[in-house]
Amino acid sequence: MTIPMVAGAGLSDLDFEKFREYFYKRTGIQFTAAKRYFVDRRIDACIQSSGHRNFGGWFAALRLGDRTDLLQDLINQLTVNETYFLREDYQFDSLLSEVLPRVLAGRGRPGRPAGPVKILSLPCSTGEEPYSIALRLLEEWDQIDHVDVEIHGADIDSAVLDRARLAVYGNRSLQRVPKPWLAKYFTRIDEDRYQLDGGIRDAVTLAQVNVCDTPAMRAVQDFDVIFCRNVLIYFDELSSRRAAENLYGALRAGGFLFLGHSESMSRISPIFTPVRLPEGLVYQRPTGAK
Amino acid sequence: MTMEDGTTATALVVDDAATVRLYHSSLLREAGFDVEEAANGLEAVEAALGTVFDLFVVDVNMPKMDGYACVETLRSDTVGTGAPILMVSTEDRPEDADRAYRAGANLYLVKPVSAKRLARVATMLIAKGVPE
Amino acid sequence: MGLVRRDTSPQVGKERSQAPAYDLLERHLNSPDPELRREAALELDGWDEAVPALLGRLDVESEPAVCDAILTTLVGHDIGPVAARLVGHLAGEDTGLRIAVADALAAMPESTLSLLPDLLVDPDHDVRIMTAMVLANMRHPEAESWLVAMVRGDAHPNVVTAAIDALLPSARAEHAPLLQEAMRRFPDDPFLRFVVETTVPRLAGTYR
Repeated sequence: MTIPMVAGAGLSDLDFEKFREYFYKRTGIQFTAAKRYFVDRRIDACIQSSGHRNFGGWFAALRLGDRTDLLQDLINQLTVNETYFLREDYQFDSLLSEVLPRVLAGRGRPGRPAGPVKILSLPCSTGEEPYSIALRLLEEWDQIDHVDVEIHGADIDSAVLDRARLAVYGNRSLQRVPKPWLAKYFTRIDEDRYQLDGGIRDAVTLAQVNVCDTPAMRAVQDFDVIFCRNVLIYFDELSSRRAAENLYGALRAGGFLFLGHSESMSRISPIFTPVRLPEGLVYQRPTGAK
Repeated sequence: MTMEDGTTATALVVDDAATVRLYHSSLLREAGFDVEEAANGLEAVEAALGTVFDLFVVDVNMPKMDGYACVETLRSDTVGTGAPILMVSTEDRPEDADRAYRAGANLYLVKPVSAKRLARVATMLIAKGVPE
Repeated sequence: MGLVRRDTSPQVGKERSQAPAYDLLERHLNSPDPELRREAALELDGWDEAVPALLGRLDVESEPAVCDAILTTLVGHDIGPVAARLVGHLAGEDTGLRIAVADALAAMPESTLSLLPDLLVDPDHDVRIMTAMVLANMRHPEAESWLVAMVRGDAHPNVVTAAIDALLPSARAEHAPLLQEAMRRFPDDPFLRFVVETTVPRLAGTYR
């Protein structure tokens, strides 16, 4: 028997305020009044699937912090988390127009020897993110013919890494890829499957790594840019601190870290310096000793 | 609270306590400011990177980045604001005020701050302009 | 030029087998190079025998990034002796360290809560204010009852308001008398009056 939700009218104003403040404190994500209806519906769905009778019971369990499955479900409901090519690509715009020039300008200075520009996508999931970076660099970076670039992908999940190596994608994942790029870099397998060409696949190094595992992350070194989007918000306090420290250690001095669109280091760790770019914030490992 | 160029003055209230943010924000709004809020020093720095604020009201004890470090960062090249900064704290020792001024604050007040005091001080700081 | 691949195979397993020995890490904890100290503090994760060295280093460390790394590792040891040593920093002069330690204690609920009886009666009201901050950020069912005790019993109005603020997100109608009593205890505190007058009316009808 399903316990009927009260009136389908969403949360009381007070409950919504408490929830809003909790979610903001926990993840740094804010909701405007315009999103109220959306959030109410999503929370109702979370309460239903949790088995709690009402907002009170569900919210109390959530606040305790030991039910990471409740938090995971909530974040999944409230954020867009499917992966596809060129997702949030305003950050790739920033990479090309703002970050890479700074990386190049920093080369040759003490602590940053010449050598390939190294870019990491973590988690890389089924590969859309590192391959998106590769395509944008090849097609739109005016320095690509003069500079060596290493692109790496890392994920904790070996199954998605296998799929990333195979690099076969459907229309949904490819919907934002310009048709000329599709023709140039992919081979059509059938009407809903395209495989990325071997040249690009081979150019990206994939490895299985847990970002919270300090000894494992020791192998991840000297990156100029890291994309770590939409994973830190799932971690508890302890894990997100450690992940932030490990990401710091994986960057060169002066290296850059991109988080997801609505994420912020302000909830996690003070060790990075925020930098304003035209299209948003990026975090920088301070230049200096290393 | 109108700036010289005719725009409404915008303040950033920085405190980890939601009630304190509410209190200071409502007092500043009554005094004619537009107000935004930040829950810790890091968030304040990020906000200041995106918006030009005319006044900062900054608590001392906040998680992740305390008020002194926040003020130092606001004054440093990372943000580089010259706007007046008012620090507010529960602590009442002379060395705390000294620390605030060394960090770059213009004024240091001890909590709780009365409505009249905050409004008067905020207005005065905006009107005076900021000494280098 | 262009996209290049490192020809060596993934290094992860190889690196792990070359993990620095414990003795080396402990030495690096006191290296003149702050980056070596920071890395050593993180690598000492999981080693019980490292705890005294980490606590000792925290007493003298001046680099905030190294302090953060030390605390990130210590937080994994949610035990009485660690919390007891960390709590000493809540009264310290270094504001940055004080709040970094408060953040860490909030992530160590079991051991920190066992210290609450002493913290609640600490003669320094700043320590008690920091305690309210720790409880505000702590995810544990018992945190609330300690905050209620602070609101009810603390003699300093700033401690009481810090505790009330920490309590409000989970406050219910039954807490209204507690808040009103606090306001009566400190009639001259404008902020406390503001908090109680704006929030008590909303506490009725908290959950649908």
